[in-house]
Amino acid sequence: MEEWKPNPPVKPHKKRSWYLAWKYKLMNQRALRKLCQTGAVLFLLVTVIVNIKLILDTRRAAYEEEEESAQDYDDEMLNVEVPRHPVNNKKVLDVEVYSSRSKVYVAVDGTTVLEDEAREQGRGIHVIVLNQATGHVMAKRVFDTYSPHEDEAMVLFLNMVARGRILIFTIKDEGSFHLKETAKNVLKSLGSQVAPFLSWRDMWTFVGKKGGEVYGEKHAKSPALSTWGDPVLLKTEVHLTSVEDAECHWPDTELNRRRKRFCSKVEGYGSVCSCKDPTPIEFNPDPLKDNKVFDVPVAVIAGNRPNYLYRMLRSLLSAQGVNPQMITVFIDGYYEEPMDVVELFGLSGIQHTPISIKNARVSQHYKASLTATFNLFPDAKFAVVLEEDLDISVDFFSFLSQSIHLLEEDESLYCISAWNDQGYEHTAEDPSLLYRVETMPGLGWVLRKSLYKDELEPKWPTPEKLWDWDMWMRMPEQRKGRECIIPDISRSYHFGIVGLNMNGYFHEAYFKKHKFNTVPNVQLKNVESLRKDNYETEIHRLLGEAEVLDHSKNPCEDSFVPDTEGKVYVMFIRMEQEADFTTWTQLAKCLHIWDLDVRGNHKGLWRLFRKKNHFLVVGVPASPYSSKKPSSVTPIYMEPPAKEEGAVAVPAAAAAEQT
Amino acid sequence: MQKINRNVVLALLSLTSLVFLLFQLCYYKFYLSHKNGAAFSKGRGSQSGQDSTRWHVVRKFLGLISSHNIPVYLIDPLILGLVNKDIEQIKSSPDGPSPECKYFCAPRDFTTFALLDKTWKHDVGLFTAAEKMGFQWLKIINKDPRLDGMDDLSGMEIPLHYIFKLASHAIHLVVFYERSGNFLWHGPLRLKQHMDRKFVPFRKLHFGRYPGAYEKPELLLVSIDDLKVQIPKNPSSFLEEMSHSRFLECRYREARAFFQLYPDDVSLDAVEFRKKAKSLLHLAALTLNNLGVKFWLSSGTCLGWFRQCNVIPHSKDVDLGIFIRDYKADIIPAFQKAGLPLKHKFGKVEDSLELSFQGADDVKLDIFFFYEEDDHIWNGGTQAKSGKKFKYLFPKFTLCWTEFVELKVHVPCETLQYVEANYGPEWKVPVKTWDWKSSPFNVQDNGIWPIDEWDNVIQIY
Repeated sequence: MEEWKPNPPVKPHKKRSWYLAWKYKLMNQRALRKLCQTGAVLFLLVTVIVNIKLILDTRRAAYEEEEESAQDYDDEMLNVEVPRHPVNNKKVLDVEVYSSRSKVYVAVDGTTVLEDEAREQGRGIHVIVLNQATGHVMAKRVFDTYSPHEDEAMVLFLNMVARGRILIFTIKDEGSFHLKETAKNVLKSLGSQVAPFLSWRDMWTFVGKKGGEVYGEKHAKSPALSTWGDPVLLKTEVHLTSVEDAECHWPDTELNRRRKRFCSKVEGYGSVCSCKDPTPIEFNPDPLKDNKVFDVPVAVIAGNRPNYLYRMLRSLLSAQGVNPQMITVFIDGYYEEPMDVVELFGLSGIQHTPISIKNARVSQHYKASLTATFNLFPDAKFAVVLEEDLDISVDFFSFLSQSIHLLEEDESLYCISAWNDQGYEHTAEDPSLLYRVETMPGLGWVLRKSLYKDELEPKWPTPEKLWDWDMWMRMPEQRKGRECIIPDISRSYHFGIVGLNMNGYFHEAYFKKHKFNTVPNVQLKNVESLRKDNYETEIHRLLGEAEVLDHSKNPCEDSFVPDTEGKVYVMFIRMEQEADFTTWTQLAKCLHIWDLDVRGNHKGLWRLFRKKNHFLVVGVPASPYSSKKPSSVTPIYMEPPAKEEGAVAVPAAAAAEQT
Repeated sequence: MQKINRNVVLALLSLTSLVFLLFQLCYYKFYLSHKNGAAFSKGRGSQSGQDSTRWHVVRKFLGLISSHNIPVYLIDPLILGLVNKDIEQIKSSPDGPSPECKYFCAPRDFTTFALLDKTWKHDVGLFTAAEKMGFQWLKIINKDPRLDGMDDLSGMEIPLHYIFKLASHAIHLVVFYERSGNFLWHGPLRLKQHMDRKFVPFRKLHFGRYPGAYEKPELLLVSIDDLKVQIPKNPSSFLEEMSHSRFLECRYREARAFFQLYPDDVSLDAVEFRKKAKSLLHLAALTLNNLGVKFWLSSGTCLGWFRQCNVIPHSKDVDLGIFIRDYKADIIPAFQKAGLPLKHKFGKVEDSLELSFQGADDVKLDIFFFYEEDDHIWNGGTQAKSGKKFKYLFPKFTLCWTEFVELKVHVPCETLQYVEANYGPEWKVPVKTWDWKSSPFNVQDNGIWPIDEWDNVIQIY
């Protein structure tokens, strides 16, 4: 409207003559003139209305453009912008560190970053690593240096921490009993005056920069053996450096951006954050020819053990034929650090709100993870299930690629597992050999989607049932007589020594000596013989070929098996009915293999290696292979030792960990 | 003199207002065309310049995509519409140079492509390369619906849409995900608060107002306007599919709340029934889809989906609805062939038709035929022993896709109204004793079948 500027000087003048002619012509036609006038008035009115309408329309259109152009597309959820912490421009951090018999805490700028007053927990030296530029907590560890070897772990950890980081130490209860010279020297090199003289039940706090200044140290000596030193509270100030100084200057690539994000948040992962020569985070292992498991999703079940997860993912991503796009890490709980590890490797991770407690929590986490896996990969017929405390063999996918068709075609199979429960250093020999077993070993296994969707998922134990998912899966109601395929030499290695049902002693006894395949591209032998009927033929052939051992000797003795190589031997043990494992358990015990429950059996037959000879054990008369026993041979019976009170409880609970 | 003056003034005013009116019209027209281009076509070049801009942007985009090995395919309804007219010619001459720019120069603001999520590696390099080529890009991410149905899982958000803008043209890249039920899904386009609402005229996008469900398309590599591009093998059926592709996600959160109030039945019987109902539904869907008969979840099955995202274990049958206009005489033989014998047939095609098939292990499949009136839709019921007729009234509805027991099926888009009509405002409360003649909220008596018709309208096997 504003733009409209009529041209008064020209127009009326020009129109005038034309108007006059017209006027004379119509002079006397009054009626007509009247009509014209009315018409003109009407026309004016119409113009005004149209104009107003146009103005309104234009305005509204403009307004819509402004306000509503994307209204339909607005996220209906109010995205509450989390108010960001005021940018910390302060160059100084106030640090408070408290050490006492029953409680430790660390506060940074008034925020408690560590508080531990739980009873009978958290004994030893607590270490906190802060970022020297931001003051963020990058790692929190506790080393129970009252117990042996923990000081070694602490030294290892401290060596991994990058120079320039701020280290905070505080002792809870006792931290000196097994704190050896090496560890004390490391603490000394960090600038501690007191560390070399730390003794029984002393209280101690220390704040310093790795490879730099000391911000404070306090110490309280224990006056007597039976008492603790007085609580100490250290208050000090730490000067922050600039962000540039705290970061490495790696070339700017996508990988290094991930690395940078990771390394500025967490500590304790060693050379991955090394400025000079960082270890790679992309591995590009050789692809597999004709990889049948390239499109099989891999679910990694994780909790809050980020260091384990880091080690596990490294080995997984280094395995030949791995397809990182198919990997999903399921984290039980909203833990940040495991997620950081997942992001470091550019994988996708999913967090799961914990449901229930203890074993049931693990069980619910498994269920959610498996369901999610098949939702995310609706095309998949299988899923590979791994846990965060496993090393994965370099030929893990090659092993699966060669055997997975069996799981697809043979209805009598329950799973394929990478783990042989009885495959120890001294009992496993042949990387190309596979077995059929009635027990489900877990620890790196393949699940058929139809089994999960049609059978397991609908009746999975509910949260209030405190069951182990793997124990439940082994129950006859679920397994229904089906078997799993396992390799002689495991394709996974269980390295976790802290866990729900796990401790160092238990790990050392049952897992440490487990054999783990390191040979790439193993060609599996005679895979077709693993089919249900073929396997029986194979076993009969083996038994036919096998030499019967001297049953008068003690089977626990080394001399029971002759000093040969590559031969097949068979022994017969007493097994009154299908569930009678008395003799087997004793035999397993003296052979130092898994004896906490029965594993690795197939119709009353066990297969393992002794002195590089294939060694078969047949339970008579329960096993259908009993007929192979020469009539002259009496099956060996081994009596269980008299039960020691209480000795059973620990391993029984521990057995659950072997999933 | 006064008279003359008055006339003069009037004529003058008329004239000026005429000029004014014309001016306004011109302005309005200019404004409209400007608005179409929005902040978007700043430099208005000549018409042909505009046309070739579009072509150039598409060419650049395709170059970018192929250099990163990302397989996209064209789903732009406008271009596919044009392509469809000449489809035979395009198929027969895959490599011939085209004399004129017929398709990619057509006036429009966007060109829409589809990308199958699993076929690319979320390579960040793509975006750096795009920026180097001068593209501005926008990524729209949101929650992963495939995890939505699960208790308390929170995954990373997934990319649903990308928009690449260059000069006056933009490429809309829709990311498709595979869902259980063997179909493709794309998400809705929702802008988060901090996003630039004027990045492109979002309202004009062809995809994103609602989520959508599609069959996996067969693709065809063609050369149009000298650009090699993949298109759906059958563009017309794709366009047809697109017109009613709206997808409804199950209301998982409400379902969880429901199970908080009424814990799920996990008895062996319930597990077994659900399994049977699921396989019956799969079989029914296969049979009807093969016949090309459109159906939807009705009655109890629909309620189960809407209320608890699962089969109601005590419902004891599976209910489907079909519009009577989609009725085919082949339906009965097809089901019989699939191993589902006819159990009873009530009514006739002209009135109150209802079919019941006997599934395996005592689970029944009920198919109700729906009759459309001007202001409502209804289906009929018949009581076998008395010949009484019943009528169930529903407000008008349209059909949407959803995912149910690993199946892509239709449900009424206006599900709440549908369920409320059928079960009343108390539909959230489980009812175990149900009488189909009196319990439904929308049942009406509808007289009695004439005795002489009984043989025809009441058939029980």
